[in-house]
Amino acid sequence: MVDIRLASEVPLFDIVADSTEPKHLVTPGSLITKETGFMRGHGTYMQDDCLYASVAGVVERVNQLISVRPLKSRYHGEIGDVVIGRITEVSQKRWKLDTNARLDSVLLLQSVNLPGGELRRRSAEDELSMRQYLKEGDLVSAEVQNIFNDGALSLHTRSMKYGKLSQGCLVKVSPSLIRRQKTHFHNLPCGASIIMGNNGFVWICPTLHEDVAGGFVQNLETVPHADRQAISRLRNCVTALAQCKMMLYDTSIMHAYDASINAGFEIKDLLLPDKITEIALMVRKQFEMEKE
Amino acid sequence: MSIAPQLLRGPSLMAEILLSEAEKAFIHHGDDLRCDGRTRLDYRPIILETGLVSNASGSSRLRLANSDVLVGVKVELASPLSEKPLEGRLEFFVDCSANATPEFEGRGGEDLANEICRFLQMSYMSGDTINLSELSVLAGQQCWVLYVDILILECGGNLYDTVSLAVKSALYTTQIPSIKVATMDGDQPELELSEDPYDTKRLNTQNVPCLVTLMKIGNHYLVDPTPEEECCSSSGVVVAVSGSKKITAVRKIGSGSLHPESLVSMLKTASEVGAVVNKILMKKLLEEETAGKTQKVGFMR
Amino acid sequence: MSGTELLSDQGLRIDGRKPNELRRIRCSLGIFAQADGSAYLEQGNTKVLAAVYGPHEIRGSKSKALHDKAFVNCQYSTATFSMGERKRRPRGDRKSTEMSTHLEETFAAAIRTELYPRSQIDIFVEVLQADGGNYTTCVNAAMMALVDAGVPLKDTVVSCTASLVKDTPLVDVNHVEQSGGSPELVVSILPHSGEIVYMSLTQRFHIDHLSKVLDTAIKGCKDIGVILKEIMKGHLTKLDTSLQAS
Repeated sequence: MVDIRLASEVPLFDIVADSTEPKHLVTPGSLITKETGFMRGHGTYMQDDCLYASVAGVVERVNQLISVRPLKSRYHGEIGDVVIGRITEVSQKRWKLDTNARLDSVLLLQSVNLPGGELRRRSAEDELSMRQYLKEGDLVSAEVQNIFNDGALSLHTRSMKYGKLSQGCLVKVSPSLIRRQKTHFHNLPCGASIIMGNNGFVWICPTLHEDVAGGFVQNLETVPHADRQAISRLRNCVTALAQCKMMLYDTSIMHAYDASINAGFEIKDLLLPDKITEIALMVRKQFEMEKE
Repeated sequence: MSIAPQLLRGPSLMAEILLSEAEKAFIHHGDDLRCDGRTRLDYRPIILETGLVSNASGSSRLRLANSDVLVGVKVELASPLSEKPLEGRLEFFVDCSANATPEFEGRGGEDLANEICRFLQMSYMSGDTINLSELSVLAGQQCWVLYVDILILECGGNLYDTVSLAVKSALYTTQIPSIKVATMDGDQPELELSEDPYDTKRLNTQNVPCLVTLMKIGNHYLVDPTPEEECCSSSGVVVAVSGSKKITAVRKIGSGSLHPESLVSMLKTASEVGAVVNKILMKKLLEEETAGKTQKVGFMR
Repeated sequence: MSGTELLSDQGLRIDGRKPNELRRIRCSLGIFAQADGSAYLEQGNTKVLAAVYGPHEIRGSKSKALHDKAFVNCQYSTATFSMGERKRRPRGDRKSTEMSTHLEETFAAAIRTELYPRSQIDIFVEVLQADGGNYTTCVNAAMMALVDAGVPLKDTVVSCTASLVKDTPLVDVNHVEQSGGSPELVVSILPHSGEIVYMSLTQRFHIDHLSKVLDTAIKGCKDIGVILKEIMKGHLTKLDTSLQAS
C-alpha cells in the first residue's frame, strides 16, 4: 500500500559507455570548425567566419550542413511530423493547441475534415459551432502542415487516421526520446494502440479501428478490464523507459512490456525505482542479443 | 455557451491542467485499476532523506512521484503566548517555489501555500499530536519556537500528504539545544546554552499526524491522487491522522458535495491508511538514523 | 573582523583555501521532470536549484511579447531556512527584485533570443543554502539549467566573486569573508569572448587594486567555466549512451 524508501536505497541507473567511437559532443560557445564552406544548421552560429555551437549536444553533418542536436529540448516541428496536441483556446476560424512547441500551434477550421464530406464548404454556421467539434481540453492527433514565419506550427487533420482522441492515457516525454519512424500509429499485439507523437506526447488507448477513427465522436463507454490492464502496463513501461532515457518506439516498448510480464511484475510494480531500472536493463540486454 | 477554462480545473488550487471528457471518463471507469496500475488504496513510491539543510536544526526532503518537498526546521527562543505560558509553539510557513510551475511566480502560489499552512496548523493543534510543554524553557517567559519552513519544489499531485510526511520527518530529526536556567540573580533568570553542540534533545514525534487525502471519483474514493485524478474529482477530504490512529483535523476539499454516509466511511478508511503510513514512515526514519552517517544523496543524481 | 583573521600568516583563508582557490563545485542536471530544464549547483556550502520553462507562449498579458525576440523572465528567491538567521520572506524584498532584474539582463545577453520571437523563457532560481556568492552561484546554476533545456546560448555565461584582503585578491568569497567587511566584486562574463555582462562592487578599495581584483574574478569565472563544461560533457555522454543503447 505504501512504499517509503531512503534516498540512499534508490539504485542509480548508469549505463557504462561502450567502447564505441566517441561522438563529437559540444557545449554552447565551443568552436565546431574554422573551415569555411559549411552551412550553419540548427544549434550553431557563425562569428568571424567560424562556426560555433549554441546548444549542448551532438554535432551532425549532412553534406555541407552542420547542426548540433541537443539531447533534450522543446519540440522543434518539421512538416509531415505526427503530433498530439491539446486544445487550449477556441478562437475565430482556428483552434490553438499545446504541442510542447515554443509557441502554441494552430489548427485552422479549413484544415479539418468536417462531418459531411471532404469538399464541403465552411459556412458561418461551422464557425459558430467550432466548440462542438473540439473544445478546450480535447486531445487531437494531427500532422504538421506548415510552419509560420514566427515559428508557430500549423496542423491539419485531413486524413482518416487523425482527429479527436477518445479514451486513453497521455504520457509526456522529451521529444528527443521519440524515434522517427515510417508510422507513428501502432496497434500493438498486447491489445492496445499507441500513437507516438513526434512532439513527445504519447497516446495509449484501446485498439484503434480504421473505420471509426478520424471523427469528432468520443466513445465514452466503459473500456473492458483487460484492455485497461494492457493500457496501464504500457503506460508504466513508457514512463519507465523515459525515466531511464531510453528511445521510445514500438519495438522498445514491446520489449519492456514482455520483459515486465516475464519477470512477473505487477503493473504497479513498474512504478518502483528498482523495478524501473531492472526493466531498462532487461530491454537493453534484449537489444544486445538481437544485435548478435 | 463558452466555458471558461477555470471551470474545468480540479478542486484544489493546483497548477492548472486540462483534460478532455474522454480522458475523464477513462479515469472515472477505472474500477479498482487506476491508470498507473494502482488499486484505490495504493500510494505511489515515496523517497525520503533527512539532514540535507545544514543551516537548520532539522530538515528533510521527500519525493512522492513528482511531488517534491524540502522542509527546514529552525529553532528560536521567544516569549510564550500569554494564553499558553507553559508551552512552546510551532510556526508553519509554506512557500510554493516557481521551480514547480511558472504559475507560482511572485505571489501566484500563495493561496495554495496558505491553504496547506492553515491545515497543518489546525492538525497540530490537538494535544494528542506533540507535547508543546516540552518546548517551554522558563514558564511564562521563555520558550522554544519551531519554525517549520516548507518549500514545494515540484507538484505531481497529492501535496497535502507529501508535505505532512516531510514535516513529520523533519521534526523527527530536529535537535533542540539543551538549555539551563542559571541561578536567579535578583529577578532576572539567566539562560545558559550548552557549550556542547551535541548536547541536544529531540521531540517525541510518534503521534505527529500524517495527512491523508481521499478523493472521490465516481462512487468510490481513492488515496494519493495524481494531478489528472485531482482534476477529475469534484470533492474529497483531507484527514490528519495521528500515530495512534486518532483523527486530529478534517477538511472537505473541492467544489462538489459529499453524502454523510460516504464521509463517515472515508474518515474510517483515512484513519486506517494514516496509521499504516505513520508506522512505515517511523520505521524508515529509525532505519535511517541507525544507519548512521552515510553520504547524503541530496539533489546529486 | 580584522584582515589578519581572514588571511593567515601562511597565506591561507579562513576555510583553509589558498587565495586563488575555488570552493568545491558539484552539479547535476535534469533533476526535475516537469521543467524544460533544471540544475542543482553547489559551490562550497552555497546550494542553488534552477529551473527553466520554455521557450513557450507568453503567459498572462500578451503585451509582454516582443515581436523580434524572446522575452526573458527571471525570479530570484531564497529559501527561508537558507541562512543562519531565518528569513521572513523568500522573495518580494528589494534585494531579490534587484537580483531578478540582474539575472534578466545577464541572460537576455547570453541567450540567442532572436531565434524565438513572441516566446517567453522563464528562469527561476531558488537559493537553498546561502554561504556567500549566492548571486554568482545562481547565474551558474541558471546557465546549467538553460543548457539542460536545450536553449541556444551565445556562450556559457559564468559568474564569480573576488575580494581583497591585506592587498591579496581572494577568489570565490564565502559568507564569513563577505560579511567580514572586505570588498566584494561580482563579475559575470561570456568566457569565449571575454566580455563582461555584469559587474558590481561593494565596499571600497584603491583604484590601483581594481585590475588585480577584476583579473582574479575573471580568472575565477574561467576556471568555473571549465569545470562546468566538463560536467556538461559528462552529462551529455551519459544521456547519449543510454539513447544509443536502445
